Amino acid sequence: MIQLLLLPAALLIALIFGIPLLRYLWLSFHADSVITSLVAIPNNGANWFRLFNDQRFWQDTYQTARFAFVSVSLEIFLALGIALLLDQRWRGRGVVRAITLLPWALPTTVMALGWRWIFNTPNGPIEQFAKLIGLQHLYGLQDLNILANPSLTWLATVVGDVWKTTPFVALILLAGLQTIPNDLYEAFDLEGGKPCAGLFKITLPLLQPYLLLGLLFRLAQAFGVFDLIQVMTGGGPASSTESLALYAYLNAMRFLDFGYSATVMIASFLLLVFICLFGWLVIHQTKHFREVVK
Amino acid sequence: MIRTRNLWITVLLLWSLAPLLWQLYTSFCSNESLIHTFATHQHRWTLENYRQVLTANPPFWRYLLNSAFVGISSTGLTLLLAIPAAYSLVKVPRNFARGARLFLLGAALFPYVLLFLALLEIARSLNLGNNLLALSFPYAALSMPLAVLLLSSAFRDLPSEIEEAARLEGLGLWQRLRWVLIPLIGPATASTAILVFLFSWNEYPIALTWISTTDLLTLPVAIARIAGSSVYSIPYGAYAAATVLGSLPLLLLVIIFQRQIVSGLTQGAIKG
Repeated sequence: MIQLLLLPAALLIALIFGIPLLRYLWLSFHADSVITSLVAIPNNGANWFRLFNDQRFWQDTYQTARFAFVSVSLEIFLALGIALLLDQRWRGRGVVRAITLLPWALPTTVMALGWRWIFNTPNGPIEQFAKLIGLQHLYGLQDLNILANPSLTWLATVVGDVWKTTPFVALILLAGLQTIPNDLYEAFDLEGGKPCAGLFKITLPLLQPYLLLGLLFRLAQAFGVFDLIQVMTGGGPASSTESLALYAYLNAMRFLDFGYSATVMIASFLLLVFICLFGWLVIHQTKHFREVVK
Repeated sequence: MIRTRNLWITVLLLWSLAPLLWQLYTSFCSNESLIHTFATHQHRWTLENYRQVLTANPPFWRYLLNSAFVGISSTGLTLLLAIPAAYSLVKVPRNFARGARLFLLGAALFPYVLLFLALLEIARSLNLGNNLLALSFPYAALSMPLAVLLLSSAFRDLPSEIEEAARLEGLGLWQRLRWVLIPLIGPATASTAILVFLFSWNEYPIALTWISTTDLLTLPVAIARIAGSSVYSIPYGAYAAATVLGSLPLLLLVIIFQRQIVSGLTQGAIKG
């Protein structure tokens, strides 16, 4: 009988997660757009053929993967540093931890707008600073024009994402650091190990499950990046920052092609599942993670 | 050693705060001085940007109110459903519970933005568009996996003798939950509540597609709408004022509930 208490939550989850996925699967085999007067007509998988030949889809897949891998690696690296810093004991640690948390707590759109101003050409501080040190000459340009230069804009979006989500990863890693007993380090010191070697011999191996957990979480989120890109660049310039989620959104809300939008979403979902399964397999190779999850 | 640590702390603070401080600075600058950032101006400082944002139609605090409303109702709904579910997850057979937890972890990982189109269809067919209260349903569902995981790990950590004693005293299931167990998991409930509130306050794609009436926009959508309104000549001063006003409530929230947020996230990592 006690299982009945699970029911309301399970129903709500099934409704909000399950129905959309089934609906997309169904829609992806139907034409449903302005051309069909928004009536779903079966089209024998034409959406899927279109998807495989859709250069923009594959371009966006590449861009999304590039964005996800670069920003997540940077985040893990920076978060490790921050977690190590916050794990030590010093005065004012609580205040600093709260301030570190702030970027993560703010709505993405708020600072996406902020970044647009910070990267503005010619009035934003980054552009002016770059000009001051002559960075634009490296590229042989008058202005760096960060948000209008397809080879630079995606890096700006990476900065925005790293700034916002590093605190989240840092906290996960901090939780991991606090599970490592101090005795281990003392024993290591007694054995005459160098302090730096402790990082590689004790900290990183024991932190591995947390690193992988943070990696998995962030990879999934970064792969579905939407808010930041939509507000900061709108996918531009020349679709160079467009993510899969944004492409699906544009297909539905701008081109009013719901059938194809659903196809793009299912395809993105499958790609992500593939990546996560791969990650999961890697995680399961590590014994320690199983103990943590159990 | 101490000195290098202080250096890194300074770098960390700068990295976290500089973009926000730049917005703060911008929000008090007149438009002319923004165009020549480092030049000197007679009329550099102004409150004009704030006046503009606060006297717009609807005034900016309206969006804050909407977001707060959605945040509170979603948090309430989430806790209402998640607490019983989390409790029963501790009582069901172990294998079933493990499977359920794995499933919830998967759902928590899911990039929910992909759901927006079908959710929009649901909203249209049930006539839930432009209804702030209706937003709590998707929000509660999306936060449910994390909430159930966090709360059930809190229930699991309670010694089973406590509930046993309460049962021997003759308390029924509902009474045990109401008077014994739920008060004991108070800290975990607070952490969960604040995380759900933050999520609902910040959520963008669903609010973007469900709400179109200007008066009902939540804060993230209102801000994004300002961004989309004029691509070429953007009133950055007014923007900055909006971002500062939009950040203030969260700044307070983070300062007040720092401990709960941290323990929520870290418990999620350890027990997840």
